[in-house]
Amino acid sequence: MPDPLNARIKTMIVQTLRLEDIDPASIKDDEPLIGTGLSIDSIDALELVVALEKEYGIKIKSSEESMVALSSVSGLVAFIRQKADPSRLPPA
Amino acid sequence: MAFCPVQLGAHGCLTALGDAAQTHAALLRGERALSLVPVHGSAGGDPVPLALLPGRSLDETSPPSWLPDVKRLMRGCPEAPWGGARHPVFVTSSNFGVGNLYEFRRTALASHLGYGTPEACVGFIGRELGWGGNVSIVSHACVSANVGLVLAARQVASGLADQALVFTFDFLSPFVAGGFHALKILNSEFPAPYQARATGSIGLGDGAAFAVLRRPGTGWIIAGQTLHNEMHHFTAFPPDGAGFIACIEPLVRLASGRRLWIKGHGTGTLDSGRLEAEAFGRVMPSCPLVGWKGSIGHTLGSNGLVELAVAVESLRSGRIPGTVGSAAPAFSETVALEPITDGSFDGVLCASNAFGGAHAALLLCHA
Repeated sequence: MPDPLNARIKTMIVQTLRLEDIDPASIKDDEPLIGTGLSIDSIDALELVVALEKEYGIKIKSSEESMVALSSVSGLVAFIRQKADPSRLPPA
Repeated sequence: MAFCPVQLGAHGCLTALGDAAQTHAALLRGERALSLVPVHGSAGGDPVPLALLPGRSLDETSPPSWLPDVKRLMRGCPEAPWGGARHPVFVTSSNFGVGNLYEFRRTALASHLGYGTPEACVGFIGRELGWGGNVSIVSHACVSANVGLVLAARQVASGLADQALVFTFDFLSPFVAGGFHALKILNSEFPAPYQARATGSIGLGDGAAFAVLRRPGTGWIIAGQTLHNEMHHFTAFPPDGAGFIACIEPLVRLASGRRLWIKGHGTGTLDSGRLEAEAFGRVMPSCPLVGWKGSIGHTLGSNGLVELAVAVESLRSGRIPGTVGSAAPAFSETVALEPITDGSFDGVLCASNAFGGAHAALLLCHA
C-alpha cells in the first residue's frame, strides 16, 4: 500500500510551486525533482523547503541536506519520515 | 576589452576586525571575526556566523546604527567637491537600507522609510557627508563594488572626471541574514572557503570601503578590470567553471611577466568554491589563492572594495594572510591556507562573483 504522505507531498509540490498544468499523480516517485521534467530550480527549491519546514516542523540544516531531501518524491518522503514528529504525519 | 588603468588613490575599509591595516594584521594572526548570532537578532532564531562591526547589533535602527562608522571611515577620504561635475561619486551596495524597509513593514515606524530604499539611503549618506548631486547608485549583487570601480575608472580614463569616488557599504540586518539562512547556505557552521568537506556554509559580515580613482601616476594602479556574466542561472554556475576563466584570462594576459597572487571570492559554498579554485589552479598554477571570508564574512556587494583595501596592505607589506578558517584538503593545490611572507610579488588579481552568474576581477599593481 502506498505511503499516503507520498500523495500529499506531490500535491504540496504542485500547490507551492503553482505548477498548474501538472497533475500531482503524474509526478514519478523516483524521478529527480531538480533539473528534470518539473523544471524546479534553486528558487523553487527554496520555496519548497520553506513550505516543508512550516508544514512538518522539520529543520533542513544546509543546502547540501536540502539537495538530499529534494532528490525525489520518494527521497523526500523518507527524509520527512525520518525528521518529523510522527504526530504531524499520516500513518505510513 | 579596453582597459582603463587608473591610480588607486586614497582608500580604506571597515570590517568587524577594524580598518584595513587592523583587518590585515588580524587576518595574518588567523583571527576569525565571525561569531554565532541569532539570525533574527533580538527576536532570536537559529545561530549563524556573522561578523558585525564592534558594538553594533544586528537589529535595524532609525537612524541606522552604522552611520557613525561610515563617518569615521570617510574621514580618511581627502577633501574634494565630491558629487560635483568633475568629481562624481559612485555608491554601491547590494542591500542599501532594505533592513529598514523590513522594519517599517514590521513596526509601521515611518522614520525607517528615510533609509529603506537605495535612493533614500544614498541621499541620507550624501547629505551626512556633504556630497553634491553627481552621485550614481550602482547595484549588482555581490559584484556591486566592482561595477562601481569600473564605471568610475571609465569616467576618469575618458577625461570626464578629475577624480572619482567609489563608496560601498553593506551592513547586515535580520532581513538580509534571514534571506541567506532560508537558502540554507548560511547555517550554523563556520565557513571554510575552498575546503573540500561535506557541508558548505557561508558567514556574513558588515563591510564598507571607499576608493579615490585618478589618472595613472605613481603608487598603486588598477591596471585593468573585467566583468563577465554567464547568463546561465540565477544561483548556479555552469559545471565547467568557464565563467571564472573567461573573467580572469584578459587580466592574466595583461599581467604577463608579473608575479601574482590571487585574492579569490571564496565564500565557503562548496560548488562555487570548487569551481573557482579549480579554474584558477588551471589558468594560474603558480599563483597562490587566498580567501578571507572565513574570517570577516562575506561583505556582500561591498566585498570587492573591502577586500581590495586589505589586498593593498598585503601587497605593500609582502605579508599575505592565508585562507582563515579553512583546513586541508583544499579544492586546489594552489589554495594557501597559511600566511605567505614574500616581498617579490608585484601584483594581485582580486576576483569576486555574484548571484546571476556575474564575475568581476581586477589587477592591482605598482605603476
